[in-house]
Amino acid sequence: MALSRETLLGLYEMMVKIRTFEERVAEIYYEGKQPVFNIAAGPVPGEMHLYSGQEAVAAGVCAHLRPDDPVTSTHRPHGHLIAKGVDLKRMMAEIFGKETGLCHGKGGHMHLFDPELHFGCGGIVGGGIPHAVGAALAIKKRGEDRVAVSFFGEGAANIGAFHESLNLAALWKLPAVFIVEDNLYAISVPKTASTAVRSNAERGAAYGIPAVQVDGQDVVAVYEAAGEAVERARRGEGPTLIEAVCYRFRGHFEGDPEHYLPEGTKEQWKQRDPIALLAKQLKDQGWLTDEDAQAIEERMTALIAEAEAFARESAYPPPEAALTDVFVQAESPREEQSHG
Amino acid sequence: MIMIPAAGGTMQPAVGLIANPASGKDIRRLIAHGSVFDNNEKANIIRRVLQALDAFGVKQVLAMPDLYGLVLRALEDTQVGLRVEFVNISVTNTAADSRLAAAVMAQAGVRCIVTVGGDGTNRVVAQGCGDVPLVPISTGTNNVFPSLVESTLAGMAAAAVACDVEPVWDRAVRQARRLEIVRGNTLVETALVDVVVYDERFVATRAIWDADKMRALFLTAPYRGTIGASAIAAYLPQAEEVARDAAGLYVELGPGGTHVMAPIAPGLIVPVSVRVVHPLELEQTIPVTYAPSILALDGEREVPVPPGTSVGVRLSSHGPYVVDVQAALQAAVKAGFFIRKP
Repeated sequence: MALSRETLLGLYEMMVKIRTFEERVAEIYYEGKQPVFNIAAGPVPGEMHLYSGQEAVAAGVCAHLRPDDPVTSTHRPHGHLIAKGVDLKRMMAEIFGKETGLCHGKGGHMHLFDPELHFGCGGIVGGGIPHAVGAALAIKKRGEDRVAVSFFGEGAANIGAFHESLNLAALWKLPAVFIVEDNLYAISVPKTASTAVRSNAERGAAYGIPAVQVDGQDVVAVYEAAGEAVERARRGEGPTLIEAVCYRFRGHFEGDPEHYLPEGTKEQWKQRDPIALLAKQLKDQGWLTDEDAQAIEERMTALIAEAEAFARESAYPPPEAALTDVFVQAESPREEQSHG
Repeated sequence: MIMIPAAGGTMQPAVGLIANPASGKDIRRLIAHGSVFDNNEKANIIRRVLQALDAFGVKQVLAMPDLYGLVLRALEDTQVGLRVEFVNISVTNTAADSRLAAAVMAQAGVRCIVTVGGDGTNRVVAQGCGDVPLVPISTGTNNVFPSLVESTLAGMAAAAVACDVEPVWDRAVRQARRLEIVRGNTLVETALVDVVVYDERFVATRAIWDADKMRALFLTAPYRGTIGASAIAAYLPQAEEVARDAAGLYVELGPGGTHVMAPIAPGLIVPVSVRVVHPLELEQTIPVTYAPSILALDGEREVPVPPGTSVGVRLSSHGPYVVDVQAALQAAVKAGFFIRKP
């Protein structure tokens, strides 16, 4: 697999794009919610789960995917969808709950769907894993060379759906790649207090699925491992489990006091910021200068400002649209019956 | 030899224990057919080591702490009379833990250190253990330095070393060689088995599996019957001839050479083109000018050689002391170490 300058600069730019997006969304989110935190106030009411710190995983995996490869994500989905290639304006508008958003403002930040990119996510922990297996089954039955990818956290690896999904994916040798983003905490519960195995990569062996652990802060490592897994799936050789050990730089949700974190650990992890790590590697190779990095940052900031302006200027969906795009419209009485 | 003072002021034989919770999960499970080694099995291995040490007179074990608590888990289901203590290090969950733990154990005066891991684990332990011999137990099928040995037996051998059974040290402990990576006069890294100059720039997933990217190979010894990069020379008749009078080997790789079918990873047997095999003498330094490249140490990409830079690879006799488990057991048998009065 070629680790070319073009590829790695692309990964760098993608990580900067995700980070810049997330940090700007954090600023927007707190508008109107301070000094006394009011979750219902501001332009983006409700909960907010941001992806800062884990960018290497989304960027490294999605760099191998095509728009028609299905991806399921989690309650922390922004990074995955950005890396999949979403239109930032429509994504930002959805986060704002506007009519121009991906789901016409009815999904919000945790329920982003993009049919063109075959992307879905949701707040049910582990809920996306069986969906990816279903998509992979469809791909296999149709004889296509697409790959279904599911991102989920290490907490989700303790629920039944994870094990049922791995079992069927292995049994049917499906073109699926399972990405465990092990950021060490399921909300506030450390993995050591919830999980009997040290590494979820060990769980692949129980189902006969090749499983590897990678440094989720190193985008080059993620890119290399994911590339092998995706190609393996496209060749019809079955599923792979990748455990990317990473860390979220913000709380589980915005406003999380993070009392559960041992003192100093976040600062330690920030020493291994995935963007800074790649920047150093690129600079050592003479592939990136400070000026290049500055230009990329400015370009991404401008893109996101454009998306934000689009979202702010867009209208809210009218009340009478509350029930549209919510239920599937039956196309024929027969179909209606079968749904009934 | 330094002894660990016990509570009552007497000297107690102590053994170090370093188990790497991260070994056995790298990309070789995906690109080759590497064995899966889970941490519950590692805890099992540790239980067997502890039982053997306890049965043959070791009173204290100094263990490396880790976030998973491998040794703690092993102790949960094991009844042993010996005392297990953890070295006081700040756990980072990186290779640095093993290096630092080995140094602290050596300072504390353990008689030997049992390692549970692969070539990479032993490489970093060797950087900290000084003259304390290692008893390496392999956790996988891709290792050369540690043996695939039943851990009960490794524990018995470690006990014989720790209890200073008379002929064991002479007959079963040898000093290994190492390869030293130097920039100018500065030692930057070491390897215990091999160094490969790999045509890539980044550490990434660490493993190396593309033979076309291998430009040169350095070996601490003319290995036979091994797997990994060392296998390239191990199955080559010319290498055996050159190795007859040499300490180590320096092998130039690239198009136009003899093709040897080498198992460079478990189940991954590929043709590798070998151009020239050179003897490598002790203290001889070979410059690596192929840049950009990355040096893979004992099978793991580790030291980038950016464009316009160079490093040297030197064969040294200053590797770690290593216990040959079978030889130690044989020597201990002769000394009656395993005999107890009914």
